[in-house]
Parts: sequence; C-alpha cells; structure tokens
Amino acid sequence: MFVQKAKSKLWIAWILVLPVLIIRGFTVIYPIFETIRISFYDVRLLRGLNQFVGLQNYFKVFTDPKVLETIEFTLIFVISSMTLHILLGVLLALILNMKFKAKKFLRTIVLIPWAMPMVVIGMAAKWGFNNEYGLVNDFIRRFVPNFELSWLIHSDTARAAVIAMDIWKNLPFFAILILAGLQFIPTELYEAAMVDGATKVQAFFKITLPLIVKNIMVLSIPFTMWRLASFDIVYSMTSGGPGSSTELIAYRITTEVFTNLNLGYGATLAVLLFIVMVVFSTTNLYFINKK
Amino acid sequence: MITRFKLENIFKWIIALTVSFIILFPLYWIFISSITPAGELFQRPIKYIPENPTLSNYIYLIKNTGLYDKIISTFIIITTTLLISTIICVMAAYSFARYDSIGLKIAFLFILFSMLIPNVVTARPLYDFMRKVGLYDTYTGLIILYISRVIPFTVLILRNFVSNIPITIEEAAAIDGADFSQTIFHIILPLMKPAIATVSITNFIMCLNEFFIPLFYANNIQVLSTAITQLPLQDNMYSVPWDLVSSMGWIIILPIIIFVSVFEKQIMEGIMAGGVKA
Repeated sequence: MFVQKAKSKLWIAWILVLPVLIIRGFTVIYPIFETIRISFYDVRLLRGLNQFVGLQNYFKVFTDPKVLETIEFTLIFVISSMTLHILLGVLLALILNMKFKAKKFLRTIVLIPWAMPMVVIGMAAKWGFNNEYGLVNDFIRRFVPNFELSWLIHSDTARAAVIAMDIWKNLPFFAILILAGLQFIPTELYEAAMVDGATKVQAFFKITLPLIVKNIMVLSIPFTMWRLASFDIVYSMTSGGPGSSTELIAYRITTEVFTNLNLGYGATLAVLLFIVMVVFSTTNLYFINKK
Repeated sequence: MITRFKLENIFKWIIALTVSFIILFPLYWIFISSITPAGELFQRPIKYIPENPTLSNYIYLIKNTGLYDKIISTFIIITTTLLISTIICVMAAYSFARYDSIGLKIAFLFILFSMLIPNVVTARPLYDFMRKVGLYDTYTGLIILYISRVIPFTVLILRNFVSNIPITIEEAAAIDGADFSQTIFHIILPLMKPAIATVSITNFIMCLNEFFIPLFYANNIQVLSTAITQLPLQDNMYSVPWDLVSSMGWIIILPIIIFVSVFEKQIMEGIMAGGVKA
C-alpha cells in the first residue's frame, strides 16, 4: 500500500509539509528550548533579577513545601482519577455496547460532557458544591435531612470534588474509546463460550478483558498526560484552594510565571513536568510493545 | 427464559436511566437556575420547577457584557482556524502518506512527539515571543495558536486516511494525462471528504472549548469560553455570580447539545478513528 513517489519530486513533499512544521516549530519547539534554558536562570521580573544559577532552581523544588503539596495533590489526582477512569470506563463501555432501543440516545448523551468546556463545568461545580444552595447537598438532603458540608472549604472534600468533576467530564470520552476496542471483538467468540456453558461474568474476564487490556493501556497514556497537565478544572473550580490543597502542578506553573513573575523557577517546574511525562509515556510504550 | 430476558431488559433501562440522570440532571439544574430570578436562587431546598421564570439574566448578559462581540470573535477565530488548518494539514498529510524519505519520517515523528508537550510548559516563552512579534491579543496571533493546537491530531488522522487510498488511482490518472494539481483537486480531495468532515467536527469542538490560549494570549479579544470566568458580580454576596454564570453556561451548552445530537455519528467515527490508531 505504501508506494513511494519518485525521489526527484521530494522538494514538493517538503513544500507541502512546510507550513505545518513552521507553525509547530515556532509555537512549541522554540518555546520549549527557551523554557529549558530559563530553568537554569534566576529570572524574577519583580526584582529585576536575571542571572545564571545552574541547578539551584532544581534543588529548591524538593525543599519547597508549597510545591511538594502541589506535587502530592497532582499525584493523588492523576492516580485516583485514572483508576476510576479505567474501572468505571470499562463498565460504561460495556453499557454503551449493550443491544437495546435507547442505544443511540445514550451515546449522544454521553458525548455532551466531552463536548462541554471544562470551565463551564468548573464554574457550575463551584456553585453545585456550595453547602447551602448547591445541587449536590440538595440531592443528599433528600435522603439525609440536615446534611451540612461545605465541600470546597475543607481540603479533603475539595480534592474529592475536583476528582469527581474530572470523572464527570472525561469518563464518557474514555468509555467511548474503549467501546471502539470492544466492537472489534467478534461475536462468535461469545457464542462459542456460551455453548461451552460459560456465564457472562466468565466471558467478560476470559474473553473481553484480555482482548481490551492493550487498548486500555494505550489509551491510558494520553489520558494520564492530560491529567498531569490539567489546568482549566482547578482554575475555574477552586483556584487551587483552600490554601493550596487542590493546586495541580500546571496551575502552580502558570501562577509562578504569570502572577509571581518568577520565570526561572516556573520554568524549572515545567521542565520537571515535561521529563515526568516523557519518562512515563516512553516506559509505558516500551511495556506495551513488549507484550 | 422470557422472564429472564425481560429482567435483563429492565436492568439495562435502569442503568441507562441512571447514566442519563447523572449527566443530564446537572444540565437541567443549570438551566432552571438561569431562568430563576437571582433572589430566588438562595433557597433551600432547590425548587426544580421555577415559580417565576424570567429571561432577565439573558437580557442582562446581552445588554451589559458584550455577548454579541464575544460570539462574533469566537466565530471568526474558529472558522478561520478550521479553514486554514484543513488546507495545510491536508497538504502535510498527503506528503507524509505518499512520499518516503528519512527526513520526512523524522518530521512526522516530530509532529507526533510535539503532542506530548503540554501548553503550560511552553506558556511563558511563547507569551514573550508573541509580545515581541506583536501578535499578542491579535486575531492573527490567536488563530496561529489555535491552528497549532489542532495540527498534530488532524495530520495524524488525515495521513492514516490517505495511506489507505490505493495509489493505483493516482497512477491511472497520471496515465490519462492528469497533472499534479488535477490529481489532488479532482481525485484525492473528493475521496478525503468524509475524513475532513469528521476531523473538522472534532476540531470545531476542540476550538470552542479552548481556554488556555484566549486566557493567556489575549486580553481585549474575548471568546465564549473565557467570558464565563469574567462575569461581573451583581448584588450577590457569594463568590459565584450564579445567576449570570448559569445563563452564560447555557448559552455555551445549548449549541453544543444541538451540534452533538446532529453529528453524533460523525463524532463517534472521528473519536474512534483517532482512538484505534493512536
């Protein structure tokens, strides 16, 4: 299928890809090298500082309690959100794959959270988790009268609320992608299993799961990347609060470089985030290819 | 056997209704909040059927927050982005699929790899760069950034699509005397229509939801997604101007719901094409 054209016409090929390369080059590649460079400098616009400090910014990260708290929540956020994505995502995909009348209706509904801007969801969640007038507590009070809880004022519940909203928005999308894998499983496999007397639960664990495991692993890479770099959700919902307990690393970076104008330190955090992402995705790809 | 079948069906409906409820009920709540007079929002328990429905929040938004301008600028940015990105990505996709050299392979990997770089990592240097070249807070600057945002996904999907078009079609055209541009415009492009449609629909949603770019690379130019975070607090003692946020939210959500219901099939195909190949 992959037939080549004459080598002499290669200049045409380069002209065709040039616009795309130039745009990505200036908007992504140039700035990332600049970020790496600045991470070795102490650049503080508010104090007019700009001097080379080597690895000093990097050492500072591991003794900065605020950043350590940010890293802690980022890890909690990514791990718990991804675990729930995988468990509930497979479940929702199985539901979406069921044969029944409202299938198209359900698939359309499931697309809505994915198509909505995260900020709209975040702003609504800010009110939705309000103790007095929020939707969440109103719903709980129908079953537990006199229930009182200011979700976004206590760190633990604020963290849970942020994770819950991330699931609400992104789980459906994850489930649809797993569904794509499910649809490639031939129905004959299930029919054969039923003939052999397997129950539905057995069929799931012996047929479905082994066949979609690779799919789930591949999907988990971009989803973990997006979680690691999440910004909109915290910006619109909690602004990192209470204190800095719901601050994600991406939010911390933008605060450093745009609000505190501490460019060197912000760049260092950005470089560390980037390194984590590259290491995570390449090791994951390595294991997937090995399988 | 019949009862078992029925039981299973009831079970399916219960699950389907629960899922729909979790997704749709918050949207309904946002909607009734948007047509409830501001004062009545401070009530316990929430009244899910508003007693005095009003459009005053919407009228306030239209009159006082420059909603019209925001819709126009959103529209300008998205249509231009889709138009230009489709043209340059089709060009690149064709090239990556049909020509073979080590240089091009590296260029393709470079585009894929650049997907790994999140926007926060490049944010500040890019901001300084945009200021330096005078593109900060301009339509040109924003459109370039939006285009850059959709390039990797678009090139990937379109390249995979072109790879699956048999090259014999092009060879036959060449024998019939068609030159390069005729081959592209009369043969390849018509065949690519469905792929371009799916990619454009997905990119449309991506652009509409884009928040990071307009937040940090524009100030006077406002789009719908950033507008909702900058609504004025009316006589509202709480941290959220919920009356306005809910109505602004619905102004953003309604077109999305319509769009998704109309294009459900294409969106599903688009998502799956990306997902399976990724």
